[in-house]
Amino acid sequence: MLRYNFIYELRILLRSRWIQLLSLLLLLLFGFSAFNGKEKVEKRKVDIAAAKQEVLDTDQSMLKLLDSVERGMAVSASPWTIPTSPMAVANYYPRVVAMDPQPMAFVSTGQADIFTHYVKPTATGDDFALNFTEMTSPVQLLFGSFDLAFVIVYLLPLLIIAFSYNVLSSEKESGSLRLLASQPISIRKWVFQKLILRFFWLSVLVVTTLVLVILIVGIQPLEWSKVFGLLGLALSYMLFWFSLAFLVNLYVGSSAKNAVSLLGLWVVFVLLVPSVLNQLAGTLYPMPSRTLMINEMRERKVEATKRQDEILDNFLRDHPEYAINDSTQTRSFYHNYMASQKVVKEELAPIVNAYETQLKKQQSWSRQLQWTSPAIVVQESLNNLSGTSTADYENYRRQVIAFSESWREHFMSFLYNNTLFKSEDHTNLPQFQYHALGQSGVPKAILILLAMALVLLGLGFAVQGATRQKGILAD
Amino acid sequence: MISTKDLTKKFGDLTAVDHLSLSVKEGELLCLLGANGAGKSTTINMLLNFVAPTSGSATINGLDATRHPIKTKEFITYIPENLMLYPMLTAIENLDYFSGITGRQLAQSSLTGFLEEAGLQKDAFHKRISTFSKGMRQKVGIAIALAKDTKVLLLDEPTSGLDPKASNEFGNLLQKLRGKGVAILMATHDLFRAKVVATHIGIMKDGKLVQQFVADDISLPQLEKTYLETMNYKEVLS
Amino acid sequence: MIIKTFVKETKESWRDGRVRIAFLIVLLLLAMAVWVGVRQYQNVNEQYRTAKNTERILWDNQGEKNPHSAAHYGTYAFKPKYPLSLVDQGVDKYVGTSIFLEAHKRNEAQFSAAADQTGLARFGDLTPDFILLFIIPLLIILLGYNSFTKEREMGTYTLLKSQGASNWKWAMGKWMSLFIPIFAITALLFLITGILLSNLKDFGVFKWQSLLTMFVIYMGYYIIFINIVLIISSRAKKSGIALVLSLSVWILACLAAPKAASNIAEAKHPYPTRQEFAANVLKDKKDGLDGHNPWSKESKLLEQQVLAEHGVDSLHQLPFNFDAYRMQKGEEHEAEVYFKHYNYLKDQFAQQSKVYKGLAIISPYLPTRFLSMAVAQTDYATHWDFADAAEDYRIATQKFLNDHFAENSNYGDWSYQADANFWVGLPSFEYDPPELGEILTDNTSSLWILGAWLALSFSILLITTKTI
Ligand SMILES: Nc1ncnc2c1ncn2[C@@H]1O[C@H](COP(=O)(O)OP(=O)(O)O)[C@@H](O)[C@H]1O
Ligand SMILES: [Mg+2]
Repeated sequence: MLRYNFIYELRILLRSRWIQLLSLLLLLLFGFSAFNGKEKVEKRKVDIAAAKQEVLDTDQSMLKLLDSVERGMAVSASPWTIPTSPMAVANYYPRVVAMDPQPMAFVSTGQADIFTHYVKPTATGDDFALNFTEMTSPVQLLFGSFDLAFVIVYLLPLLIIAFSYNVLSSEKESGSLRLLASQPISIRKWVFQKLILRFFWLSVLVVTTLVLVILIVGIQPLEWSKVFGLLGLALSYMLFWFSLAFLVNLYVGSSAKNAVSLLGLWVVFVLLVPSVLNQLAGTLYPMPSRTLMINEMRERKVEATKRQDEILDNFLRDHPEYAINDSTQTRSFYHNYMASQKVVKEELAPIVNAYETQLKKQQSWSRQLQWTSPAIVVQESLNNLSGTSTADYENYRRQVIAFSESWREHFMSFLYNNTLFKSEDHTNLPQFQYHALGQSGVPKAILILLAMALVLLGLGFAVQGATRQKGILAD
Repeated sequence: MISTKDLTKKFGDLTAVDHLSLSVKEGELLCLLGANGAGKSTTINMLLNFVAPTSGSATINGLDATRHPIKTKEFITYIPENLMLYPMLTAIENLDYFSGITGRQLAQSSLTGFLEEAGLQKDAFHKRISTFSKGMRQKVGIAIALAKDTKVLLLDEPTSGLDPKASNEFGNLLQKLRGKGVAILMATHDLFRAKVVATHIGIMKDGKLVQQFVADDISLPQLEKTYLETMNYKEVLS
Repeated sequence: MIIKTFVKETKESWRDGRVRIAFLIVLLLLAMAVWVGVRQYQNVNEQYRTAKNTERILWDNQGEKNPHSAAHYGTYAFKPKYPLSLVDQGVDKYVGTSIFLEAHKRNEAQFSAAADQTGLARFGDLTPDFILLFIIPLLIILLGYNSFTKEREMGTYTLLKSQGASNWKWAMGKWMSLFIPIFAITALLFLITGILLSNLKDFGVFKWQSLLTMFVIYMGYYIIFINIVLIISSRAKKSGIALVLSLSVWILACLAAPKAASNIAEAKHPYPTRQEFAANVLKDKKDGLDGHNPWSKESKLLEQQVLAEHGVDSLHQLPFNFDAYRMQKGEEHEAEVYFKHYNYLKDQFAQQSKVYKGLAIISPYLPTRFLSMAVAQTDYATHWDFADAAEDYRIATQKFLNDHFAENSNYGDWSYQADANFWVGLPSFEYDPPELGEILTDNTSSLWILGAWLALSFSILLITTKTI
């Protein structure tokens, strides 16, 4: 039976132009979305490169200034920006702390449109006030991006629904089911084979178009394991929808009813479950109010400024290492500022951490419940694969905070020792290197999806007894 | 070959087939006559296990059709009132497909042989079914029966909507199959065709088999009279 | 005839279990969405009031302080939530809610809700606008995809034709049977929302006219969908095909077009990155007067100019503190720089808007989306308006502080401290969002597009049903 179904299914699909239509559609959708993704990644790279170039340029002028000052020449810059002052370097010559795109970043925009990909933390800036959001029109954020992940998560199931909703019902409606059902074959098995064959052909089309598109877009140091992850996710997600179509074909009835049921399931899995989960996550683990955080922050700052001198004394007592070589005992604005900033930061840490813990809780909660919708599983995995998930940006944020801490520390010893910044110190400036998260969790996601699909298929075969008793055409 | 015993089907309150017992042996052709709703199609559907009987049994070649639906279908060919095939495939492809999925691989030559034997014109072999008339489609159905080497043929109003010539051709085909020892059960309203092709004739009313004849024992006018009398049962009594 | 068809269609739909279930589900979702919305709205506004009051208390109680220190200390402008955001959240989730107003610097609103949420948030929220914009059109498709095809499939079509039924009246009946239930469900939602809002405490700006306008906009959107679904149904050969086609329209209009538009808009008219923007601003700032730098060329120029104006030859002889005066002049220059750069952003967005409007040709969703957000005062334009108002306030505040500093101290007197009760004199920041009339005039193009969709879909429906 499989052999004949295979031969004739292909013939019918070719003659009814399904294959041609699907190929064209897939090529168009994958092509357009991958191109969009690629464009975004390119822009991101160009922006980062430009920022880094700018730092190189300003460093050159800084070195020139230093050289002039060191050789005792007059310089035209404002006195407080002259880089012999360590705080001038710390504030006016920041490094680019960039999150370089991962090789698969073009697959899913994820949170990449919300967050910025490079910041330049200065010594006096507040870490928690660092604005990690990107300057984007909110309309764009609202509409989202037409990326590969969107095509896979939202549109592919719809294509599958259109491709498979009436495998059995169309036979019933056209009348050919009567002849078919009078053959000594199991209709269930026949429907299964038909759907598996359609799954097979669609997979072939998806894999070829996707690989073609990826080759055209050009994945840099061919990260094929990640490409396989992407294909694996797409195929297992497709299998899930085909299994659902199998069940609906067996149990629902007329073509229209099938289509409506499958569509209802699509709305539930792709639109409703995620938004309800999000709503629940927000209700269960509400984010503390940011506006109230501002109040708190400012109150603490006022306090700290009032106690400035006391703070500085305590600070230097607690951290003698900063002033170990200081013989001048000079105190400037920055001595006070940096010390009280550190105190404020420590005091505010619990408030700021509350956001992270809450976000973490939301995340782990939604990770636990993601299996309620395969759409979430796939979207999250694609985000992970692309390095654009919430976790990735959190990881980046953590690294930025750590870097700006070390940047500040680096200059604190200059400041409290009242030493000048010299040309040779330039090479010792802290450098940032972004480390991406290791685990993507894609294999696990694929396993979950396959398990879901198998359960559905099993369900289709398990409840066989009941319908066999009633007969195939009974309604 | 085909036999039913006290075969009964109820749809809720309605008894569509009521304790029906009949038997068709090899080489016999039983025509079931009866008004719309008499239960003819339901009987055939139960033989095919399209609907499960409420009680009683239907057997094909000695096997219970309800308990072994797939096994019994190996002996059956069914031609519904309006035989539909795959419109996107040609006649020969349809034949190949329906034989193939049941595990019968046939060479191209035998496929054309069966179509020829079923009386389809040669130039139609490679045409898509979407261009076929009902008569032509039925010929493909017969070719499927031939290819399957069928033992039982179930026909549901096969001649309705056929022109007299096509209807006659179809009758001749049935005679040929009967000659090969196929047991045929045919539901029809067409008294004339029944008289011509049948070996046995039964009249159904309200799910019951109310009259049964050997076809040769009765003339066409007699058959028509009996049929009408049976249909207007109550009026005749009063 | 119209009434008869209407009654028959409604009966048919109602007897269909699927339709009943779908209707109930939509109602349930709407109820849930409104409930969640009301809670959120109250919550956010509560926080808004607290934050605003606390901030003002902090400001008023700064004690004795140099006015320019106070300028650096700064204050915050908080964005309130408007009542109709209950119906349409718009871009609220993606824009910040608080703007830090300080000396020398125009800050962007920060802390958008979306940045504090998990990736799930990007799937969308269960809010009334989600149901109004996405789910109800789906409901229309479900109710109407087989309006005409079913008659053809059941063969009742030829029977009807042979009765000499007028196509137009027949189609009108079908149209009504789709329109009335959708009208009812939407009217119910808006009525409940209106009653809820007018019963909330301190709802202040809620206006029934705005709600009514929104209702009319959504009804227009639904009528367009009803027309499209009926056109497809009258042309399609089979119900299945009609369903698939109608769905394709939905996918294209509601899912694909907005996303594609967003990509195209960004590619064609990109915003600078935050860092680029800051760098550009810095560059322009450097080209002008820096209030803190008395040694720059521009400072010297200003010095000479002011001395000449007052006919004195030393800054000490001026009747005001020249440091503060320079500070104010620097502030004005910086404000101009920001004005220019933010205008560039606005221009980019205006260009992007053109892309969105262009793609409205394939998507009635887009103009509806923009109009709905605008009326709800949750659109980008309102946000700009708020940000501009905050900037005006910032500039006024700087002037207030610098003027006081200039008038009450002498040149070089950086240790001057204003009285503790001076701060109360600063008027507080009050923002009034644009009125409905103003919003509508700003969005006339969207209104026209929606109108064109209505007119076009109606005329195509008329033509197709005539030749059915
Ligand atoms: N699936 C079904 N459900 C309910 N009633 C049915 C079903 N199939 C047939 N019937 C009823 O059973 C009776 C016999 O129908 P049928 O066997 O089709 O008659 P016919 O002799 O015209 O072929 C009719 O009254 C019909 O309405
Ligand atoms: Mg019948």
